[in-house]
Amino acid sequence: MRAALLTIALAAPALAEPVVPTFTEETASAGIDTVFDGDWDYMVGGGVATFDCSGDGFPELFLSGGAGPSALYLNRSAQGGALAFQKTEAVTLDAVLGAYPLDIDSDGVRDLVVLRLGENLLLRGLGECRFEDMTQAWGFDGGDAWSTAFAAIWERDQTWPTLAIGNYVDRKEEAFPWGSCTDNWLHRPESGPETQRFAPPIPLTPSHCALSMLFTDWNRSGQPGLRVSNDREYYKGGQEQMWHLEPGQPPRLYTEAEDGWKRLRIWGMGIASADVNLDGYPDYYLTSMADNKLQVLKDPASGKPDFADIAFKSALTAHRPYTGGDLRPSTAWHPQFADVNNDGLLDLFVAKGNVAQMPDFAAKDPNNLLLGQPDGVFVEAGDRAGVASFGIARGAQLVDLNLDGLLDLAVVNRWETAQLWRQTGALDGGWVQVRLQQDGPNRDAIGSVIEIRRGDKVERHEIASGGGHVSGSVGWLHFGLGTSAAAEMRVLWPDGTEGDWLTLSARSFQILRPDQAPETWTAE
Amino acid sequence: MPFHRRQVLGFTIAAPFALGLQPALAANRAEVSREVLLMWHKLILELVRHTATYSPPVAARAFAYIGITAHEALATGNPALRSLAGQLTDLSPLPPRAAGQHDEPCVLHAALAAVVASLFANTGPTGQRAMTAMARKMGETASDGITGDAVARSVAAGQAVAQHILAWAATDGGAVIENMGFPMDYTPGTRPQDWVPTSLIRLQQAPLLPQWAQNRPFALPSADACDAPPHPAYDETPGSDFHAAALEVRDTFTALTDEQKLIARFWSDDPMLTSTPAGHWIDIVLQIADRDALPVEVISATLAKLGVAQADAFISCWSTKFKYNLLRPVTYIKRHIDPAWEPLLITPPHPEYTSGHSTQSGAAAAVLTFSLGENFAFDDATHVAEGFAPRSFPSFTAAAEEAAMSRLYGGIHYRFGNEAGLDQGRAVAAYAAALRTEA
Repeated sequence: MRAALLTIALAAPALAEPVVPTFTEETASAGIDTVFDGDWDYMVGGGVATFDCSGDGFPELFLSGGAGPSALYLNRSAQGGALAFQKTEAVTLDAVLGAYPLDIDSDGVRDLVVLRLGENLLLRGLGECRFEDMTQAWGFDGGDAWSTAFAAIWERDQTWPTLAIGNYVDRKEEAFPWGSCTDNWLHRPESGPETQRFAPPIPLTPSHCALSMLFTDWNRSGQPGLRVSNDREYYKGGQEQMWHLEPGQPPRLYTEAEDGWKRLRIWGMGIASADVNLDGYPDYYLTSMADNKLQVLKDPASGKPDFADIAFKSALTAHRPYTGGDLRPSTAWHPQFADVNNDGLLDLFVAKGNVAQMPDFAAKDPNNLLLGQPDGVFVEAGDRAGVASFGIARGAQLVDLNLDGLLDLAVVNRWETAQLWRQTGALDGGWVQVRLQQDGPNRDAIGSVIEIRRGDKVERHEIASGGGHVSGSVGWLHFGLGTSAAAEMRVLWPDGTEGDWLTLSARSFQILRPDQAPETWTAE
Repeated sequence: MPFHRRQVLGFTIAAPFALGLQPALAANRAEVSREVLLMWHKLILELVRHTATYSPPVAARAFAYIGITAHEALATGNPALRSLAGQLTDLSPLPPRAAGQHDEPCVLHAALAAVVASLFANTGPTGQRAMTAMARKMGETASDGITGDAVARSVAAGQAVAQHILAWAATDGGAVIENMGFPMDYTPGTRPQDWVPTSLIRLQQAPLLPQWAQNRPFALPSADACDAPPHPAYDETPGSDFHAAALEVRDTFTALTDEQKLIARFWSDDPMLTSTPAGHWIDIVLQIADRDALPVEVISATLAKLGVAQADAFISCWSTKFKYNLLRPVTYIKRHIDPAWEPLLITPPHPEYTSGHSTQSGAAAAVLTFSLGENFAFDDATHVAEGFAPRSFPSFTAAAEEAAMSRLYGGIHYRFGNEAGLDQGRAVAAYAAALRTEA
């Protein structure tokens, strides 16, 4: 019997090792020199925003600087060439923890939501990467908190977005900061037609020291909820949260008694969402200290937000360093799903770094690049890919900076220069990149869902503004295609309109609009 | 023997006269000492929660050393108090104070600041910031109005006590915790009743602190001195005692009332989310100290004995756990009764028999009953900040019994593991209760 089992095992087809992408660090040559600096009150934060503010299609970089200055870098890279950026003084601010691009006023020019230690700012894009401070003019109360999470959505029939701001500890508490989590705020539009202002913020009480927020239609009801990942280090009586956000109704917390919400208490630091198991529902990767979580809905038909953690069986716990010899548990921050090696399977990047001087956790804590495989088990490739930095990482973005179809990587490090990697290895797999565009409010169609066929299954992507660790992007959305010559894709627009299934050629950039044929884009 | 009012007053009067202080000033200094002791413990409870290595056994060990430090700091200047040197294993006499006037709050503060800084040296940046803030604030409070040379002499005396205790602590086998207490390598047992991991957390695929019973006990003669009797024979047969015990766990869960769920969560006392079970009982003492305005000497002696009882209870319990290496209810129930069953609470990552919370609660209740009295009614507001209303208990014993039952409600222990744990803890506590803290 034993011999027979062995024979069967040997005869089973082995999974092909996923193609390992090759990254080359180009931080210095690209002209990046921003450091996320500061002491205790900058131990969290450290975000990066990528978005095109120049109109050339290439994403710019905005890097937070903590106690040091933030910086906007204009993308001067040639398509397919080495990364090159020009540092500007356009958005040089202090006390910046992170930022998210968002076309708040729907004028077709991206604005910037800047999260700070102190007053948060709304910077209106004027074109050509110039900005003006519209915080007061838009009626936005920037507060005076330690703001560490953000999410945005256009609620049904609204012409102005709703912003959720997550806040952290009361930084004035010295001896007993625990239990001093300050309120998160929900900034809804001021009532009235065509409003261009925010109403006074609604406190999302109870708040439990949020480090990531995400609007997500977790049950495909058409009504997104607000997921909040919280740092258990500081709350008392807290847990992970999700809020109901019915139009015109006050936000209401999902509870165990009314909704079947299951209590989970982690050092929540970042949320990444993707349809990892191809069941059509968003799954959530939650970063923490030591083990991280991958939540999938146990029973979508039940309608209950009851999630199973499949990180263990998916080899996604990423709980300790895999290289460098430091075996203490890891500290994970920004997570992001993307198809980094263009093989048609989602991969996961996780930024890692000690909080600072926590001796029970790894000091040399390499970033993870976990490559997806057909059987759902991921394999670590951060070191082989060249992104296993031992910098004390926080926020990050996987984004195609030189528009060659290969995702590049920007990572913000505490006390050290942010790092930039260009993906330089040749990949056989194809890709397509799309940009959603619609008229009227919400130009970038935040809240859409993109569906792409993967064999006999459909992979769904929620297009969100938020999540990660104080880092976000608006712009080209990248999809790996493997050996497929084209992508079969459709868009479910925020108003519920179902776009037609489209066939999009591999290795192309496409602008998708409701009820219009795709427009192929080429760099000038 | 419980403290009596007369003895309590004796403590408070004896120390100040030894320093030649006027009664009014002496009373004031006693109040300051009390504030120093309570404020530091308030912070210590937070540090336990927020320091990654502080699992329940590790927390109990720290509480013991801190309680002993406070008592010894006071005892070196108060002839009414008796040192624990010579009573606790390998604790040699504490260094005597130098000649000259000392100030008790300054001595106590210096001792606590030093011992806390050392025991929590591995806490994170927020804990470090908090310790710095507390040291500054309590240092200012303690030294306010005291002459410089008396402060310096007192600080030296307090630090000497702390260094003596820390040197002793360094040799007990429990000072270094790696990988948050989980061995990097672990070979599971092969018998059907052997413990297996119950968690999907990678770090917890080995049991917590399997070598903990090799630590030097405080007052217990040896780790196995109070071993529990064998549990019901392992049996997978329906109708057997063991099967019935597991079935009771499942059926109890099925019929849980809201009150029972509340009790399970009230006593859950999860590490890194609370100050652990040991911290829960320390918190109870602090609340009683506040309510009854207990003198500082009574509080410190009570904390010392409670700390010793709880630390020894964990050593004893861990000796039993790894002797029997028994599987948890969730494992047995999933294998033999209901594959889909999940308990209310998160199952702790170590063998079942005996229940750790029951053992240390049994020990805590017994030693507190000895120190403060039978039928000592109190309200337990430990988890108010977590949203739990205070619970009232007619006695320490009643609280310990509820804590033990909470593990059955939570689905993480068999009833026999809880009951044996209570008995084991009571036996352990007898050694701590026998310690003499008064001259």
